Amino acid sequence: MNNEKSRSSNPIINALRKSNMTAIGAVLVVMILIASVTSPYFLDIYNLQSVIRDLAFVGMIGVAQSLLLLIGELDLSVGKIASLCGILSGMMMVYYHWNPWLALLVSLICGLIFGAINGLIITRLRLNSMVATIGMQGVYGGINLVLTKGKAITGIPEEIYFLGKGNVGPIPAPFIFCIAVLIIVLFIVKKTKTGRYIYAIGNSREAARILGINVDKIRVLIYSLVGLISALAGILYVARLGSSQSAIGENWPMNSIASSVIGGVALTGGIGNPAGALIGAAIISIIQNMIVLLGVNVYWQSAVSGFVVVIAISFGSISEILRERKARKVKVG
Amino acid sequence: MKVLEATGITKLFPGVVALDSVDISFEPGQIHAIIGENGAGKSTLIKCLTGVYVPEEGSVEINGQDALKNKELFDKIAYVPQEIDLFGYMSVAENLFIPYEKSGFKGMVNQKALEEAARPLLAKFQIPVEPDELVKDISVSSQQLLQIARATVHEDYEVLMLDEPTTSLTTKDTQILFDIVRQIKSQNKAVVFISHKLEEIFALSDVITVFRNGKKVAYSEIGQVDIPWVIRQMTGREVDQNQVFCSEKVTDEVLMEVNDLTGERFTDVSFQLKRGEILGFSGLVGAGRSELMQAILGYLPVYKGTVRIDGENWKLGDPTFSVKHGYIYLPEERKKQGILPVLSIRENISVAVLDRLASATGISRKKEDELAQNVIDTYDVKTPDAEKEIQFLSGGNQQKVIIGRAMTCEPKVLVFDEPTKGIDVGTKAEIYRLMKELAEQKGIGIILISSEMDEIRKCSNRIIALYDGRKVGEFPATADKEEILSAIIGVG
Repeated sequence: MNNEKSRSSNPIINALRKSNMTAIGAVLVVMILIASVTSPYFLDIYNLQSVIRDLAFVGMIGVAQSLLLLIGELDLSVGKIASLCGILSGMMMVYYHWNPWLALLVSLICGLIFGAINGLIITRLRLNSMVATIGMQGVYGGINLVLTKGKAITGIPEEIYFLGKGNVGPIPAPFIFCIAVLIIVLFIVKKTKTGRYIYAIGNSREAARILGINVDKIRVLIYSLVGLISALAGILYVARLGSSQSAIGENWPMNSIASSVIGGVALTGGIGNPAGALIGAAIISIIQNMIVLLGVNVYWQSAVSGFVVVIAISFGSISEILRERKARKVKVG
Repeated sequence: MKVLEATGITKLFPGVVALDSVDISFEPGQIHAIIGENGAGKSTLIKCLTGVYVPEEGSVEINGQDALKNKELFDKIAYVPQEIDLFGYMSVAENLFIPYEKSGFKGMVNQKALEEAARPLLAKFQIPVEPDELVKDISVSSQQLLQIARATVHEDYEVLMLDEPTTSLTTKDTQILFDIVRQIKSQNKAVVFISHKLEEIFALSDVITVFRNGKKVAYSEIGQVDIPWVIRQMTGREVDQNQVFCSEKVTDEVLMEVNDLTGERFTDVSFQLKRGEILGFSGLVGAGRSELMQAILGYLPVYKGTVRIDGENWKLGDPTFSVKHGYIYLPEERKKQGILPVLSIRENISVAVLDRLASATGISRKKEDELAQNVIDTYDVKTPDAEKEIQFLSGGNQQKVIIGRAMTCEPKVLVFDEPTKGIDVGTKAEIYRLMKELAEQKGIGIILISSEMDEIRKCSNRIIALYDGRKVGEFPATADKEEILSAIIGVG
């Protein structure tokens, strides 16, 4: 049993090892070093704030998505839920002159409901989460277009701007929300019954059912929570732009999955830590920032950033391949 | 002349000697029956003889050449597995000829040519289907025959191995199969026939080899022996293994009462379980034992019938209810349905009783650690600490953790489904002792599902036999092995 040796008596170190977090944290540190060496502008406070503001959104959605990955599922409609909730909040504030805070609260509840709908469809009709949410993103995106006819809603009340544009001290406000989401999610995952059930379901859905865990209830709960967090990201983005647009959240489904995987959350379920998704999001955001700072041709940016993300995702499996090779060598001699 | 000759085959699995220096050989034009209880090593042997497993010791020679060195020789062996492994959403013809070596141009598949080529084969095997039908739509019987047709498509095979080919065949189809097998024999091929059904073995085969506990215990020409001899060889009456583990504190109180329960794989099953009793369920694989117990749990649907446990009318179809009210099922598929592999022993145990571990800030780690340590100590789990991932424990220790977890749920009825599958002999006795203690000291009722006749007779107070989803007999623990065996193979 070679994993015996790697076990330390320190529970924190063990936890870090188990979730692969030290390695990915080290990658982040190295990326920051490279970025600050190669570009003098990287450490500039305005640049850093813009990077952190970007990563707050991907991070939030990534943390949510990691919950689904932990039970072996995923939600590709997160971006469309975000933009639809943003549009709904814009309509309530601008067209119907609701109190902005009430409008935001109602939009969040809408997100929760959309998530619950996803969950109910997937559990009751026994659908594959990927296929079902591809369909549902079409539905949410379509409603979006019906409501807006493709136009942005401008004239969002300025009193909510600081939620997206503002800073608390030097820290961009969305990042505060992102950290709050992470703390709540980590509390659920690490400290509550639901969290334990999430890992149990991700390990073996059959075993979880035989243990008497109400598997479908937990799944619907997670989809609802993911819907809620998507809505939060959506309305914060509205506040950041000062307008509601259907294009909000376009890249979020893929970036959130990539963040989680880079952060060591296994697509097969049961393995990983939502905090990893935030680190993954930071890595993706830094990559995208560097591409801009280094002046990569604008037409090449998407290809380069995609390629670097694929490399980043491979870190985990590459280390696994190396470990297997080593084990084989030891055995064969 | 021998077409296949294996000598001194030894195959080890962690903690188990699956095959213990086995010698066996097959001759052309002969039907060779292999028989043994579940776990006797038949499947492992077949896997060694078809090149799936590489044995730790011994040699396999095909036509006098070493097959372990030249794997291509294994192509001479046509193997029909017990489970149907056809492609349901492909046509009959496609299934027959996959991977299409001889169909038209390289890399192209000519559908019409495939279908034409399939017709004579379907006629030969008397399979009443069209070549373009999807395999998922044809009867199980036809699928079984199709599997055999597929295995023999390439006529250069020299040994045909049939692993329990008749389990899903009707009597009529069995006769068709036998005719085909006799034809194949007359073409001077060697046939290996693995079956639990003694009548079939005596009707069809020329020689018989009996396995028990990974050893070849007997070989004979079929004409010189009879059914009782085979059963004697199969079960083996070892005097040294006479220790029994049945409960000595069976009460008269009926703890669980099942009436006319019918589901997909079982029909009109009724039985009673007394407090403090160990009730054995004997039957072949697929007799519906696991399905019955899983249906009571609520994991599988029940079509009709009622269950009462401890005076309570049982809510069917809700595993959460069942577990909460004291019906715990320990699955046979321990790796898939029992353990949560990448979680620690601690997490595997606590997940069942998180309500009890609550503290102001969520789950109390202190209570959780105590609980895990308590299970490790009580059930003698061999592990450095509770933080080890359960997947790295041996099968026996995983089983102990799962039993410990079940006991922390304070069960009234505890179902052990093949609790010693893949577990070595020493640990087996520990598990038996544990079951006995639980029944006697905790006053619960235990249901033991086992395919090992020795195990079920050693541990049970009463034995219920199921055959094809129906209860076919109820026996005292002292009943003859032959009597129970006849019931579960449908002879009685």
